[in-house]
Amino acid sequence: MKKTEAIPTATEGTKTAPTGGGSWRRILSFRNISAIYIFVVIFALFAIITPKTFLAPGTWVLLLDEQTITVLAALAVLIPLNVAVFNLAIGAEVGFAVILVAVLQVQLQLPWPLAVLFALAAGALIGTISGLIITKLRIDSFIATLGMSSLLTAGLVLMSGQRQILGLGDGFRDFATGGIPLGGTFKITWPVIIMLAVAFVLWYVMEKTPLGRRMYAAGFNPDGARLSGVNVSRLQIGSLVAGGMVAALAGTLLASRINAGDPTVGPNLLLPALTAVFLGSTQFKGGRFNVWGTVVSVYVLAVGVKGLQLLGATDWVENAFNGLALLGAVALSRWERTSKRSAAIKRATTFGRKARAELAEQQAADDPDRAPKA
Amino acid sequence: MTVTTGPLLRVTGMIKEFPGLRALDDVSLEVDAGEIVAVVGHNGSGKSTLVKILAGVYAKDAGEIEFPASTPDEETQLHIIHQDLGLAMQLNAIENLGIPKYKGFAASLSPSPVKREMAEARQLISRFGEPFDVTVPVGELAPAQRSIIGIARALDGWQHPRNILILDEPTEALHASEVRVLFDAVKKLAAEGAGIIFISHRLDEVLELADRIVVLRDGKKVADEPRAGIEHEHLVELVTGVHAGEAETGRTDRTHGEVVLDIEGLWGEVLDGIDLTVHAGEVVGVAGVLGSGREALPAMVFGSILAAADEFTVSGDSYVKRSPAASIKRGMAFVPGDRGRYGAIRDFTARENMTLPEMQSLTNAVFGLNVRKEKELARELVAKYDVRPPRPEQLFKQFSGGNQQKIVFSKWLRNDPSVLLLEEPTQGVDIGAKQALYDAIDDAAARGAAVVVCSSEAKELVRLCDRVLVLRDGRVAAELSGEELTETRLVLEGYGLADENEFVGGSEEQQ
Repeated sequence: MKKTEAIPTATEGTKTAPTGGGSWRRILSFRNISAIYIFVVIFALFAIITPKTFLAPGTWVLLLDEQTITVLAALAVLIPLNVAVFNLAIGAEVGFAVILVAVLQVQLQLPWPLAVLFALAAGALIGTISGLIITKLRIDSFIATLGMSSLLTAGLVLMSGQRQILGLGDGFRDFATGGIPLGGTFKITWPVIIMLAVAFVLWYVMEKTPLGRRMYAAGFNPDGARLSGVNVSRLQIGSLVAGGMVAALAGTLLASRINAGDPTVGPNLLLPALTAVFLGSTQFKGGRFNVWGTVVSVYVLAVGVKGLQLLGATDWVENAFNGLALLGAVALSRWERTSKRSAAIKRATTFGRKARAELAEQQAADDPDRAPKA
Repeated sequence: MTVTTGPLLRVTGMIKEFPGLRALDDVSLEVDAGEIVAVVGHNGSGKSTLVKILAGVYAKDAGEIEFPASTPDEETQLHIIHQDLGLAMQLNAIENLGIPKYKGFAASLSPSPVKREMAEARQLISRFGEPFDVTVPVGELAPAQRSIIGIARALDGWQHPRNILILDEPTEALHASEVRVLFDAVKKLAAEGAGIIFISHRLDEVLELADRIVVLRDGKKVADEPRAGIEHEHLVELVTGVHAGEAETGRTDRTHGEVVLDIEGLWGEVLDGIDLTVHAGEVVGVAGVLGSGREALPAMVFGSILAAADEFTVSGDSYVKRSPAASIKRGMAFVPGDRGRYGAIRDFTARENMTLPEMQSLTNAVFGLNVRKEKELARELVAKYDVRPPRPEQLFKQFSGGNQQKIVFSKWLRNDPSVLLLEEPTQGVDIGAKQALYDAIDDAAARGAAVVVCSSEAKELVRLCDRVLVLRDGRVAAELSGEELTETRLVLEGYGLADENEFVGGSEEQQ
């Protein structure tokens, strides 16, 4: 598999199916929304095993809020990945923003909204630099962002001195913990609203606008897209800038939630973010990276992990579950695709035989003497 | 030479059918020991299909392949050098010759006997001429030296001289002097008693090398004659199937408007200062053999391949900094030769491909695409260009070659381009789709487009064009129109054979 390729699923074959009665079956088919089905199974399973804790509304509100940062990190990976740019620096970008927003408040005494804005600008700048390295120096995105990741990690260690930065500005904590009250102790937190807003905007841009169409084109076939008038380099830089800003947003929210500049939290997001994006590409859009597939994947994985944790499982479970879920989902879509391909090959070969038989028949009719012995 | 007990290879009644196309139609062929048989024909005449069947790449639908001279002691083998040599450019000659063969697990881990391998490689190569360094990566060698490696490798397991060697377009990447090296090697093998099948569309080379010439046209064998009896003109007639006297000539029925595309001195890659002027409603062809600069010309005009120009105007405006996006804004359109790689996005639907170059007219008030409008447009285009099956929502890669090309055409023609650049517009397209594409080109010209067609098919150029520039070595060797524009003239000018007929012995003197 090419590293920046979305995971093609069997739906591409069924895309040709005429709309109508069959389309609902296709939309609800396992291969199209496997994550939803997995979600239902996980839900039922844990609802039966640990109904008291698992079904408590508190668990769900918490989960929704908890995963917003992973979702934002995953979306930050998704944007450039759509134009075939792999961003391995995502963890470092988030971590850098966590420290930067803290340093700006503590050492420079900036008010927190200003610090957040500066962090977002820094995210955009990082994206610009990565983009220029990839498009102008023509360094493969994998290597370029790996290098950037290392540089950013150096930067955040330099700024933080490997220590937590405490004493952030007043009100900054509300940024991630405040929200719209739902009655009782529950509320929809700002991060949830921000995450949904970002996801909605990205979905609209990617799926509904000419810009999104061009991004997909550049992701599938950069050369072909360029010849159709798509400015691939500009899209790649732009996507890294947007991704950098979303990553920085995730970082500031994370800093607000833990109310400190912690140098260790950001880099851990790389793997969950990548997992969600690839798992998400098997959902809904038949092999295209897409926003809602990514969002849903984060939550399905989180619910599975949460259930296992409630059962008393320990720390290693999260990674193990994420890994198995990714491999399982991808293997499944691959398997369905190959089985479809073998069927197609079978059809093609029988067609060949049929065609040869027809040919022989026709020859016999044309010229009885020259007909090959059947 | 040893006593022959029959030809080395006998092919009888070979038939190969592809959907909608009979690539080989009852082709028979014999190759004797010590004989060089040239198989010539246009693109799509069936040459490559024949080689691929002999190589076992394709299965034949009917026909026999026999080796009458083969005995248990001296089994006749087929050795094949494909058009693309398939050498690993980073590896050296020793490695490419496959001398370090797999000799078991233990041997794989022990150090290789470098000296012995070098000697072995030198010996293999020295059979065919000047020895060269076998330890440098083959990417650094001259093309002719690479073909020598190709030959030497193809002869792996060549135990006795009486085998068959097939060369498929071996001279494509070679200079004249290097061709000589290759030909000497081939002649040497033939002298030892091998049977050579030499596939080429370069008629001058064929006439030089072959003992016997077999001409294929549209999958049928139209001639099988000794070299001695064939003249240039006659061979061209055989290949094109058109008699010099009664040839179809270029188009004169179109009305031309203002100058739309005006280029003076286009430089880049092989191109060595080409002037090109195209009027509205005019179809100008560009011909030339591979390597003449023909292939890169439309991409250079469109701006997707870097090129310099002394003067470049489109519709009267100077256009200096060229790029595909800027070209599209100026109403230019480019149908590249490789439609899967450059012409379209294979994983997009037909609809998404059709609207990709220009979506501005399909947007709504909130920057979004008006999908209803887009789908309607795609339905119209699919119907207009007769794309089959008529499903705009089908993925591009699931269409057949001809229909893919119709989609690519519709994508560019939907906004009536002022300049239409075409590169091999009907490559790998069946007859029915070909006609539809020709009609589309005619229609575009009638609506005022300035059309440039680059094609390796002389017939196609004569059918489509008002005027054709024949390129040779990066320069315009001839400009043909009207009565002069015939298939025969195109082929003769392309190879530079026209001069030879006029001035005896003065072959390379024309600018």
